[in-house]
Amino acid sequence: MKVTIPNLGNLASIAGKSLLSNLGHEVILPPSNTKRTLDLGVRYAPEYCCLPLKIVLGNFIEALEKGADTIIMVGGWGPCRFGYYAEIQRMILKSLGYKFEMIVLEVPRGNLIRILRYVNLLRNKQSLSSLINAGEIAWSKVVAIEELEKEALRIRPRENIKGETSRILKKGLSLIDNTNSIGEIERIKQQIIDDFNKIKVKKNKELIKVKLVGEFYVALEPFVNHNIEEKLGYLGVEVERGVSIKPWITSVFSLNFLKVGYQKEKNPIEKAANPYLPQSVGGEGQPTVGNVVLASEKGFDGAIQVVPFTCMPEIVAETVNKKVSEDLDFPVLTLIFDEQTGEEGLNTRLEAFIDLLKSKKYDRHLTARRLAS
Amino acid sequence: MGNLKIGIPQALLYYEYFPLWKNFLESLGAEVIISGPTTKEILDLGVKSAISEICFPVKVFYGHVMSLKDRVDYLFIPRMVCVEKGAYFCPKFLGLPDMVKSSLSSLPPLIEPTIDIRKSATSFKNSFLAVGKLISNNSKKIYQSFYEAQKSFHLYLQSKENELNPEIININQQYSTKLLQNNMKNPLNIALLGHSYLVYDAFINLNLISKLKKTKINVLTAEMVRKQDIERKLKRLHKPIFWTLSKKIVGSAFYFLEKRIDGIIHLTSFECGEDSMIGELIRQESLKYPTVAYTEFVFDEHTGEAGIDTRTEAFLDMIIRRKRYESNHT
Repeated sequence: MKVTIPNLGNLASIAGKSLLSNLGHEVILPPSNTKRTLDLGVRYAPEYCCLPLKIVLGNFIEALEKGADTIIMVGGWGPCRFGYYAEIQRMILKSLGYKFEMIVLEVPRGNLIRILRYVNLLRNKQSLSSLINAGEIAWSKVVAIEELEKEALRIRPRENIKGETSRILKKGLSLIDNTNSIGEIERIKQQIIDDFNKIKVKKNKELIKVKLVGEFYVALEPFVNHNIEEKLGYLGVEVERGVSIKPWITSVFSLNFLKVGYQKEKNPIEKAANPYLPQSVGGEGQPTVGNVVLASEKGFDGAIQVVPFTCMPEIVAETVNKKVSEDLDFPVLTLIFDEQTGEEGLNTRLEAFIDLLKSKKYDRHLTARRLAS
Repeated sequence: MGNLKIGIPQALLYYEYFPLWKNFLESLGAEVIISGPTTKEILDLGVKSAISEICFPVKVFYGHVMSLKDRVDYLFIPRMVCVEKGAYFCPKFLGLPDMVKSSLSSLPPLIEPTIDIRKSATSFKNSFLAVGKLISNNSKKIYQSFYEAQKSFHLYLQSKENELNPEIININQQYSTKLLQNNMKNPLNIALLGHSYLVYDAFINLNLISKLKKTKINVLTAEMVRKQDIERKLKRLHKPIFWTLSKKIVGSAFYFLEKRIDGIIHLTSFECGEDSMIGELIRQESLKYPTVAYTEFVFDEHTGEAGIDTRTEAFLDMIIRRKRYESNHT
């Protein structure tokens, strides 16, 4: 069985691969996302589908070309369209004549026999303890990757030599990719964080802080968002991510009872969104609103919402965010991504937004100083 | 409290639930005011007041709210979340009252019951009773109004189902051979499928139903298919659909395909998330029935009448020509 999984930032290609190869599968990763991936997806997917569906479809086509025969995809039960991605992709790939098996990981509903077969295929006759072990290694890779990326977002705007942070991060990620023990992962993580702290930084620099919110795939996949986190870093902006794969994994598989890195009690993000959007609208709609409200309270200068074109939950969030932004006097920039998004247009909009945040911050300082004197 | 004016925008779920809402509110003594059919002014108001990325039907809804808001004491905008197990409404219905409140100013107070049958506090009955308490103090009357409204709503839905005369569909089995001998005396059976707020809003779909009827075409819609038939057809899917409104469209599309009617027109709106997915489902299924013609019309604020007319004519011509060809060669 030659399995493949869709690309998702560094997470799928490192943690996902680790999980599957520890279960004894031969993993064929799709090539990194390129223009060709996008073109393939756009060509075969329905026109108004959201961008993630198209790119992931492109991933699958490219992986099948490389010889994969089993696709692993995650599913769900709505109301966001994401839950139906796998089914539409399966139909399209079948109609294109590819021979493959698709394993959809989701909370079982109805067809239990199919689910059991999937689980058995995935488990690959491994014992339960080695299954747990593989899961633990993959999970600690996820945690390490997210922590390093988060740290890089803090250091990058402060670095003296442009590109230093990204270089160290890349080294760390490839070390994590090549190891297979939890202790080692932990050691590498510490080592890289130490390296980060040794980077020469500009002194006394007051930075603009921005919260990055929005749809999960667009926020985490650098090819789709044109490397927005790095771009902002080089503009001297400290970015904090509002999306993380950890709560997403637990919610997709309804593992909330495990409480892995995620509190079960009323989520503070939901609570913050409540006055504006009391109802969960699927996807990241409500968390997007909640994160914007929280960011305004925690001293951020602004928020950037990234949205794939026609995304249903994020459009609700965008509409509601207009009001949030007005009420809290907190700038929010909504960036919509599709196959037409050009890099220069994006650069211009980001620069303009950051300039606005800077002048706003400066004004605030002036008023504060005037009040003090 | 009598004669409270409650406004209901004639858009979106109006086309699914209006009889229920109206009967309930009116029997409690409220005056129900609807915004009336969509017009150019309403559409322009909506396009102006909504963010540009939102789907076309929600823009139309905004227009209706704008045209109503100064004429009523309350606006009735329920938040429909879930009315059956395992299926939801589109995220935009889930956040509809919040979106309206966020982007439109100087609105009258909203009556926004949440209907989500997964929790008993927000079941159909309890949400309606809560709405009733806003209008009347007489809890017995509220109960009565709700049950009567519900009963008459079910009768209304059934009467729609009965419109689908079983004979029409059965005749059709022998259509391809018999039809042309008597020179097209039998009308064509064309199904118009899509969200009810597209199919029944004559302004948005540019009078498609009456135009088809004028050319002696038998227009079939999803409402005419019995619920159990829809459910049965949906069993064929590899994975169940989790949107209430789309289930009806896909189920009835499969039903009409299997009955081999002459053609199906799928009406979709620009930027509709559900339509983008189920359009693919129906299209793929329709490939298995080569005798049923299938096409998709996309509507938005720029859709021109001439364009739709041309496409409709071409679609019908194609069906007629094929029938003629088939009858000459068999």
